[in-house]
Amino acid sequence: MDKETVATISYLSRLAFDKQNEEKITRDLENIIKFVDQLDSIDTSDIEPLKSPLEKTAKTREDKISAQNRKEQFLKNAPDANDDYFLVPRVVE
Amino acid sequence: MSIQFKTIKELSSMLQSKEVSNYELLQETFKLVKSYKHLNAFITLNEENALKKARNLDNNTSDLSLSGIPIAQKDLFVTKGLRTTCGSNMLSNFIPPYSATVIENLENAGCISIGKTNMDEFAMGSSNETSFYGNVNNPWGENLVPGGSSGGSAAVVAAGIVPAATGTDTGGSIRQPASLCGITGIKPTYGRISRWGMIAFASSLDQAGPMARTAEDCAILMNEMCSHDNKDTTSLDETIPDFTKDLDAPVKGLKIGIVKEFDLSKLDSNVVKVFEDSKKHYESLGVDFVEVSLPNINLSVPTYYVVAPAECSSNLSRFDGVKFGKRCDDPKDLEDLYIRSRSEGFGEEVKRRILIGSYVLSAGFYDAYYKKAQQVRRLIKNDFDNAFKHVDLIMSPTTRGTAFEAGSMSDPIQMYLEDLFTVPANLAGLPGISIPSGYLDSKPLGIQLIGNSLQESQLLNVAHNFQMTSDWHLRTPPTRSK
Amino acid sequence: MTWETVIGLEVHVQLSTKTKLFSGASTTFGSEPNTQVDLIDLGLPGVLPVANKEAFYKAIRFGLATNAEINQVSMFDRKNYFYPDLPKGYQITQMEKPIVGTGSILINVDGAEKLINITRAHLEEDAGKSIHDLFDGETGVDLNRAGTPLLEIVSEPEISNAKEAVAYFKAIHQLVTFLDICDGNMAQGSMRCDVNVSVKKIDDKALGTRAEIKNINSFKFIERAINFEVARQIKRLEKGESIIQETRLYDSIKNETRSMRSKEAANDYRYFPEPDLLPVVISDKELEEIRITLPELPKQKEIRFIEEHSLEESEAKILASSKAMANLFEDASTKTKDSNLIAKWLVGDVSALLNKENISIEESNLSSVNFAKLIERISDKTISGKIAKSVLEEIWVSGNDVDLIIQEKGLVQIQDESILEDIAKKIIEDNPDQVNAYKGGKEKLFGFFVGQVMKETQGKANPQGVNEVLKKLLDT
Repeated sequence: MDKETVATISYLSRLAFDKQNEEKITRDLENIIKFVDQLDSIDTSDIEPLKSPLEKTAKTREDKISAQNRKEQFLKNAPDANDDYFLVPRVVE
Repeated sequence: MSIQFKTIKELSSMLQSKEVSNYELLQETFKLVKSYKHLNAFITLNEENALKKARNLDNNTSDLSLSGIPIAQKDLFVTKGLRTTCGSNMLSNFIPPYSATVIENLENAGCISIGKTNMDEFAMGSSNETSFYGNVNNPWGENLVPGGSSGGSAAVVAAGIVPAATGTDTGGSIRQPASLCGITGIKPTYGRISRWGMIAFASSLDQAGPMARTAEDCAILMNEMCSHDNKDTTSLDETIPDFTKDLDAPVKGLKIGIVKEFDLSKLDSNVVKVFEDSKKHYESLGVDFVEVSLPNINLSVPTYYVVAPAECSSNLSRFDGVKFGKRCDDPKDLEDLYIRSRSEGFGEEVKRRILIGSYVLSAGFYDAYYKKAQQVRRLIKNDFDNAFKHVDLIMSPTTRGTAFEAGSMSDPIQMYLEDLFTVPANLAGLPGISIPSGYLDSKPLGIQLIGNSLQESQLLNVAHNFQMTSDWHLRTPPTRSK
Repeated sequence: MTWETVIGLEVHVQLSTKTKLFSGASTTFGSEPNTQVDLIDLGLPGVLPVANKEAFYKAIRFGLATNAEINQVSMFDRKNYFYPDLPKGYQITQMEKPIVGTGSILINVDGAEKLINITRAHLEEDAGKSIHDLFDGETGVDLNRAGTPLLEIVSEPEISNAKEAVAYFKAIHQLVTFLDICDGNMAQGSMRCDVNVSVKKIDDKALGTRAEIKNINSFKFIERAINFEVARQIKRLEKGESIIQETRLYDSIKNETRSMRSKEAANDYRYFPEPDLLPVVISDKELEEIRITLPELPKQKEIRFIEEHSLEESEAKILASSKAMANLFEDASTKTKDSNLIAKWLVGDVSALLNKENISIEESNLSSVNFAKLIERISDKTISGKIAKSVLEEIWVSGNDVDLIIQEKGLVQIQDESILEDIAKKIIEDNPDQVNAYKGGKEKLFGFFVGQVMKETQGKANPQGVNEVLKKLLDT
């Protein structure tokens, strides 16, 4: 677990750490990854991964409209919005 | 008249006989809440609303099964119009526009939600120390943790403030605090209870369940909490039985498995003695114990600490400061908004797990970690399937010991190993229950029973038999003078 | 040095379901911002997706029409990245097991056919829209589109140039509108595509490094973007520079592609199976029901038109090229037996008008009912072909009913022989010199008399009747 890896996954996670915390988190991650490396102890080459304990199939939905307009409520709950839109600092593309 | 430490059954009959009015019951409840303020068990109270509901019930009696029963809700279930924080700064201002199915089910059955209980942030923790809203104290001793993540729920039931509380269990978050607080808590089969409105930690492991003083009360609550929910396509559409029906059935002749691979010799000998005493107790009821082998079970914790963080890293991406929740002050651009909102909004443990999750899912590591863990998960489930060919239930201690002191466990991995006995049931999606089984230095300790898929009735029956013939569950922590 | 271009397209087709892929919110285009947003679309804490069956059915229609494998058990995965119009911080898509597997589609470039293989077509949810230029210093987010079902159709890198790419995109457009799984409205973004372009030396086995041009939504821009990008890559390579694998944006105003320099390089989508959704299973019965309700496809229509209406292959191809065109033809066919007349009008005047304005029939004022009436009025001789042309032009502008136009403008054809005879007599009387010349052998002057009658009747005279009457009066 090098600094660069921690920086990459921190960025992917949109998290930042100050110097001191960065060292601690790097150490923690190293230990945790070492801990889960125990999984290497068994051979799983032919084992189908278990994605959900429910090995069932999905129920689906009819194509019917069931939602109403809750714009006002949603925008009111937002950290920044005007009458129509959620707002974030200008994104330059 | 005291309502403290009463069960649902007892309170229902007091209400029915008018020994206490609905309003009085709620007033008394909130008095208890205040006298136990030091527990720090609630994040948000619902006092005004709850009292209003109680008054309405006095005016219009209802014959609903849980009419007027005060209940505390883990602050992980969204409640319409009532702040829901999930123990996080990120949601310190979040007022949900809808309610979780579990909340609706309980309220439709007559329950009155009195408030939202403290918990480990986003349910990530085993001691309730990761909450943004401070530690919860275990009613059984100063400075003891209540366990986690449903620490607040366990503490309010243990303190006798309410007869019941809701919890959620991703790796032991109902059973471990139940054990450390001397109450009963059941995690049902994955899919029994709708996850709609449960703020997701790890979607394939999360399951809600009741926490109460007795297995009987848990059964009563299960009857209302379970439902087929079209809004959660991972909720089961199996028949929902009356969980109270078989509570009294005799347990004679049942076979309970003891897991060969759980090395109890590593535990404190007193903890082992409590466990052995429980076995003896069951033997006196006619239960047979046999050793079963689950060869991969000791890989449960490492498996869990790949799967759960992976799912959590994705589930928690929606907390980005854009649509709801906290946003940092004066973001200078979008990246700054994301990074500071999340870094300020999440606590240390949550960040740690998000990072692990991002790591195990990232290019080049997916197969080695995530896929590998899902494969081991299959092996663990197979182990259980095989074991249940030979035994009806599996029994183990719920926890490695009694409640520890706050701040005493600083190494994350040591904390993760707290989940040693509880995590396997989540990985395999199986039901598990923890019931009080003894005390060490006046601190409670529980045993865990794991059942086969959908066998909650059997678990509750076996637990109920234990409680009908023992009094561990009746003990109460020292009360505070008011 | 000779260079070879290798192109692969990822076409995103918005499926025309009433509701979103995972919520019951409406997918109608053009509503007020953020009014078609459900709890699920907003990604609120605690919500869970429920898959829309109809989206699967529509995807399967595409699969069957492209002779593709249908995965009767398909699964969803999460693609993780942060963007303001992606509410959950991940997109639900199908990575490991898409609903539609390998298939193929026939394209037509300048009369030559080529089969393009399709790698896969999978379901995924669309993102919302970010509005960058409306507010000072801020970007607005509209989530109406968030969660709209998309079918992403991924081609094999078998497309060799911009023309083929356009033909491929057109073929997909034609097919999805025929199948009624997408409204095909490019201006509203119902179809968009990402283009992967690379070039290599003609003898090289290995493909060159590719650049991905994102989000193009017009036939014209696809062609221009590819041509620009190919030229850019060749220029770099010839200078000995390398191509960077990156995402590029096509700027239609400057007609250039440019790097989206953002931190794209650092992006790692961390795909993993979506734990909130179990595998979706399509039964044999469902599959069969979809198969038998598949509409006739362009190629089948073309063959049928040739057989049933004895049309030329080139005509049949044009008539079968779009659903709207084929509908015009078939509706009008019920009004007259003269299929050639209809075909002539569609391939001729109607197509000319469409091409002139570069629009599709759906975007024009011409309805199939009105077109059928136009043909009917020609064939029952109410109006002449020439008048019909002006009626069509009028429809083009106003969209008015054919009979109304004929009536209001008094365009009914004069067929009455006695009226025509009166007019012809007057013309003959007024032009004695021309009559003499004609009778003296200058037969070409016959046309002059026809023209004069037409002028007198403002073109309403039945041309055949005029011929007959004039012949009778002049030749006896």
